[in-house]
Amino acid sequence: MELLPILKTAELFQGLVPEQLARIAGLAETETYEADDMIFNQGDAGDKMYIIGEGQVEIRVKAPDGDSFAALYLGQGQLFGEMALLDQGRRSASVVAVQDPTTVFSIPSGAFNDLCQQDTAIGYVIMRNMALDLSFKLRHRNFDPAAG
Amino acid sequence: MIYKVSYVVLGGEYPGGIKNQYERPAIGDQVQIGRKVFEVTEIHEIMPPRDDFQFLHATIKPIETPDSGQTPAEPTQTNS
Repeated sequence: MELLPILKTAELFQGLVPEQLARIAGLAETETYEADDMIFNQGDAGDKMYIIGEGQVEIRVKAPDGDSFAALYLGQGQLFGEMALLDQGRRSASVVAVQDPTTVFSIPSGAFNDLCQQDTAIGYVIMRNMALDLSFKLRHRNFDPAAG
Repeated sequence: MIYKVSYVVLGGEYPGGIKNQYERPAIGDQVQIGRKVFEVTEIHEIMPPRDDFQFLHATIKPIETPDSGQTPAEPTQTNS
């Protein structure tokens, strides 16, 4: 699976020119998982964010009583693991691959933050798009089908 | 055009999903969210299009698929 065509269709990178996309692609690694593979665990240190190229992942959250539940499924073009990149906190949820194969592109947070600081035009676009993506996730969570 | 779709399951007992797709969803379409298959029952635009993206909510309900023997979505604990 080629990385650049996927990056072009990810909302996170909308507004970047091909040269800027190529710089980001240079940071990314491809990871392929089978169904039920754990990508990371809630509570782990977070040092990468991920973009889904193919397949789906399940976001699992452990409740205070110890039970875990599926909170959300994410498919192609979606971003996960970005909160640790922003705040350097531990993973707030576990992520499991649910389709075989599930291919994701991982971007190390240190190198990514360095790039955003070196090229603030890239940094501005990415941070704006990341905020828009978090906003979309909140709208998804808050949507009430009965209200329309 | 890329459609970023928020799929929300009727009843709220199964988590929905978000994905990008190249075709606009239509009522009656079948979509796999997680390990189950659903049917689209309603579509709403969330916000105006931006760049190459349109942003949609699709309400979905579980269906049975004869080939997989899949049953309707099981109740799942949620935090909503």
